[in-house]
Amino acid sequence: MVLKLDLDGTVHHVTILARRPHLVLSVDGRRHVVECLDEAGDGSRRLTVDGESIAFARAGSADGAIIRLGGRSFVLHRRDAAEEASAAGGGANVVRAPMPGTVVVVHKRIGDRVQRGETVVTIESMKLQMKLDAPRDGEIAEITAREGEGFDKDAVLARLAAPAEG
Amino acid sequence: MMTAPDDNPPFRKVLIANRGEIACRVIRTLREMGIASVAIHHPVEARARHVREADEAVEISGETPVAAHLDITQIVDAARAVGADAIHPGYGFLSENARFARAVAESGLTFIGPDAETIALMGDKISARQFAADHGVPVAPSVMPTEDLAEFTRRATQIGFPLLIKAAAGGGGKGMSIVRSAAELEGAARHAASEAQRYFGDGRVYAELFVERPRHIEVQVFGDGKGGAIHLFERECSVQRRFQKIIEEAPAANLPAGLRDEICASAARLAAAANYRNAGTVEYILGADGRFFFLEMNTRLQVEHPVTEMITGLDLVRLQVEIAAGRDLPFTQDAVTADGHAIECRICAEDPERDFLPETGTILHLDAPQAAYLRFENALDRGQRVTADFDPMLAKLVAHGPDRASATRRAIAALHDLALLGVKTNIDYLARVLAHPSFAAGELHTGFVAQHKVMLAAREPDVATRDMVLIAAALGLRDFRDLILGVPEPHASIGPWRN
Amino acid sequence: MSRLQSSINTASADFRRNEAHNRRLVAEFRAKQEAARHSRPQRDLDRLARQQKMPQRKRIEMLLDPGTPFLELSSLAANMAYGGESPSASSIVGIGMISGREVMIRADDPSVKGGAWYPLTVKKIVRALDIAMENRLPVVHLCDSAGGFLQLQSELFPDRYMGGRIFRNQSLLSKAGVKQLALVFGHCTAGGAYIPGLSDYSVIVRGTGAVFLGGPPLVKAATGEDVTVEELGGAEMHTSVSGTCDYPADSEEHAIEIGREIVAQWGRLPRWEAQREAPEEPFYDPAEIYGIVPDDIKKAFDMREIIARIVDGSRFHEYQPAYGTTLVCGFANIWGYKVGILANNGVLFNDSSLKGAHFIELCNQNDTPLVFLQNITGYMVGREYERRGITKDGAKMIMAQSCSRVPKFTVMCNGSFGAGNYGMCGRAFDGRFLFSWPNHQIGVMGGDQAANTLAEVKANQMKRNGGAVDQSEIERLWEETRKAYQEQLSAYYATSELWDDGIIDPVDTRNALGVAISASLNAPLGPPGYGVFRF
Repeated sequence: MVLKLDLDGTVHHVTILARRPHLVLSVDGRRHVVECLDEAGDGSRRLTVDGESIAFARAGSADGAIIRLGGRSFVLHRRDAAEEASAAGGGANVVRAPMPGTVVVVHKRIGDRVQRGETVVTIESMKLQMKLDAPRDGEIAEITAREGEGFDKDAVLARLAAPAEG
Repeated sequence: MMTAPDDNPPFRKVLIANRGEIACRVIRTLREMGIASVAIHHPVEARARHVREADEAVEISGETPVAAHLDITQIVDAARAVGADAIHPGYGFLSENARFARAVAESGLTFIGPDAETIALMGDKISARQFAADHGVPVAPSVMPTEDLAEFTRRATQIGFPLLIKAAAGGGGKGMSIVRSAAELEGAARHAASEAQRYFGDGRVYAELFVERPRHIEVQVFGDGKGGAIHLFERECSVQRRFQKIIEEAPAANLPAGLRDEICASAARLAAAANYRNAGTVEYILGADGRFFFLEMNTRLQVEHPVTEMITGLDLVRLQVEIAAGRDLPFTQDAVTADGHAIECRICAEDPERDFLPETGTILHLDAPQAAYLRFENALDRGQRVTADFDPMLAKLVAHGPDRASATRRAIAALHDLALLGVKTNIDYLARVLAHPSFAAGELHTGFVAQHKVMLAAREPDVATRDMVLIAAALGLRDFRDLILGVPEPHASIGPWRN
Repeated sequence: MSRLQSSINTASADFRRNEAHNRRLVAEFRAKQEAARHSRPQRDLDRLARQQKMPQRKRIEMLLDPGTPFLELSSLAANMAYGGESPSASSIVGIGMISGREVMIRADDPSVKGGAWYPLTVKKIVRALDIAMENRLPVVHLCDSAGGFLQLQSELFPDRYMGGRIFRNQSLLSKAGVKQLALVFGHCTAGGAYIPGLSDYSVIVRGTGAVFLGGPPLVKAATGEDVTVEELGGAEMHTSVSGTCDYPADSEEHAIEIGREIVAQWGRLPRWEAQREAPEEPFYDPAEIYGIVPDDIKKAFDMREIIARIVDGSRFHEYQPAYGTTLVCGFANIWGYKVGILANNGVLFNDSSLKGAHFIELCNQNDTPLVFLQNITGYMVGREYERRGITKDGAKMIMAQSCSRVPKFTVMCNGSFGAGNYGMCGRAFDGRFLFSWPNHQIGVMGGDQAANTLAEVKANQMKRNGGAVDQSEIERLWEETRKAYQEQLSAYYATSELWDDGIIDPVDTRNALGVAISASLNAPLGPPGYGVFRF
């Protein structure tokens, strides 16, 4: 079992190597001896990693944590397998609106082959035009975006065909 | 600033027509003075700090919380209903609304601020500018809008260069250009005129002296309303983003003593000329060449007033209250002294990586450092929702030190130790600004943030730090803790053995 | 408890010779194990990769709590059967920790003939479920099997301990309240379909998981119906239509995550509270065992030297140290757990048998688990010993041992010959676990003795028939007998046939026993009592 934490878009792996005599954790394969394990709850606390003691603050959220350490704040999201599976399959098959707005241009048509990063739809939101790109190589299976029409955040504007079985 | 309650407080009860940190700030001084405080609040903020800290609270309604706080009739009625003697408007909301000041006065209450006429005078850019010019306060030379290009060119040449030329009617940069020599002037004027005609149907062009790398310097003034006015020195507010200040300090960095005196004196002169009563701030643009020009006058307490308080040892709210009650200025200009340096950082719910766009969230954890030389002005609560209902400014962190370098160091250390989790803030960004060598050198101007954009961007944490962060996060997740602690013996001791 | 004083000289020529010998044996064992675990035809690996299936061992690693042990059982099962076609008997069985719960993990091996079950696969599964029943260990099945290996159906289907026993055991486990979870990664065909069917919980992976009594080809042959795998028994169908499976998973990793969550919901049943202290590493280096066990099975060695390298702090409280000295008995701790150890220091005499029987009774009275360290050539034979009642004294030891209510664990440290195997809790005596070292040999008697005995019988036969003794014929018989014995005596043959729960590296003995003892504590002790001792 490996804990996956997303920090600024990169997924990092944390797991336990040993519990006795010290807690030893692996972070992306790097080994760290964690000598103190504070009690449950949120707030300011200390952590000793590889003999170095450091103060930090933590706030837990439903799907991760916010850590303040070394004078910086970090927002971490935990990734679970269901999420990864949908990112690899369902999630990555759609072009999703990052915020509410209106469709300016629909660049592709159903059946078009697209490459990852190719613009599928241009939207306008908060007076800002934004290009929404194909999340992977594939074929456009569905376009729900209509030029001039509005949409809500997270609306699916286009969908790619499911990858061929292999 | 802690003093015993006045034996004879100027008011019995004051309503604060504001919210957030400034309401709390005003309540604090009122309490010290032995004056009862009344908070107002929209239903959504019924549990807010300023409501809890005030002696009384009145609910006001409105379609939005902001609308409620702008509802003059409701607020004045509330003040009368609770038997308040005066209203403190704080900053923002109705603080510079002449109609409000008038309504308060007409209802028989005292408005803690200038009179409505002064607010109106200074609230209008053109009249304020004219008033300043009339009283010997320098204003940026300009050529008034005209269609006569020959006349325009002649007058513009008199001003000198560089000049900013633009369409009188328009905006959006159409026809706008910066002219650095007389040779370019005519062509630029013609171009601006034709663009102006084309886009706005109005061929008039306008020009003013272009101040390169301008600094924002402002002077805190107090007037007695009877022609007496003093200044409490200047503040520098050059570090801005989205045209709003994020770091302010007093005194201004690297300001020659003569120039400082000149700027401060001109501000006091302006206040005196306007028979200004109560606290005000005269804002200037200061060019690299030492020329300074009147920008505007704010007829209220400023957000950044604490830096002035920290160097002068004065309580500006107390002064406001006393003057509003008709008392004289308690000291003369000569008695005002400054000690050391103070820096204020505005903690905002925003994302510096995304052009400082406002952020929302819930405050999950709040732990602010404490020290005699620090002020953390806030009205935050754990669990509080940070919404788009109000201004994204969450709090102010103010640090004082014997000199600018030590104040900077203390501010950086305080930002470092300030844990405000649950909503994205500019705390770390502010620390990077303060740590920037150009900030330390005092090389400030209103384009500072844009100029140093690359160097001010957040850098990837080093691997060791990142691993610590990941470990700290993992240990906070309940099921990961269970995974560590929930393995019984002997398995926990045997460890990852395979046979 | 005092520390054993080792008299081993690690610089001696004997030590070094033994060490070289035993390290070679262990290297050979590790090589066989490595091959059984990972050596597969490329086309099978390619096929699994195409199906985006993780290797079964990787799934197990992901399922386990990180940083915890996994005691794999019978890793070399079937290593001498079917021409080596069924490495580890096409299955992985072991005990590990999932979400803080001790569980039995049982996994098919789709990289071998599509995960088909050979006769020894069935035997291994039945044994795994027997262990689960005896120790009340929840079971997690990782299903990915084409079903029984049809060519050998007569050896895996009809008899009492064959295929049906798996499902009988599953049913009784469930009845006993011992939970089972099936994670369906691949096909569960025919009998295999009952594994998720009889599990209390099941998860099935979309796209690759399928459960059906007959696959599409069989359906086509039987009824002419054309049907796809997905329609016939896919995740969508079973979790939304038939209700055969509980949770659909979007990926193998997702299935594992759901599986871990399911296990986390299981209550922690009360364990039998064995006497336990804080664990302590052995004072003497366990790796020195290599230099202690002789390079020849006929050479004697002091089993206390082995005990000193297995038990906590090398501390041992020896019982009756001066009586019946060929059987060393005493108390020690292994990973903190108090155990009673019986270890052979030679042939069992009357006094050593009586001492052993008495010590076993003490442990039963004291709720102390028993550990048998076997190196036994048998009970003493001969007129004098028979007259003294060696048979009835041995019978007392067998009676005491058989009727023990405390969990028993056996380690085959060297030889296990004759009735000594019985007294020392051989396979037939339902010890909870039985492990062997690579040097171990087992049989009614040694190869030489068997050859001698048969040669003696043959010679007598020739004499009785009046003929002369044909010495060359005797020698041929001797050689043949010895060779046949030697092969079947080896630890590899024993483990191939599942006469044990696996060969272990001697240095792993302490950990294997630690996990095994811990597992045994999940089951309550049986009622006390013995049969009739013959005095």
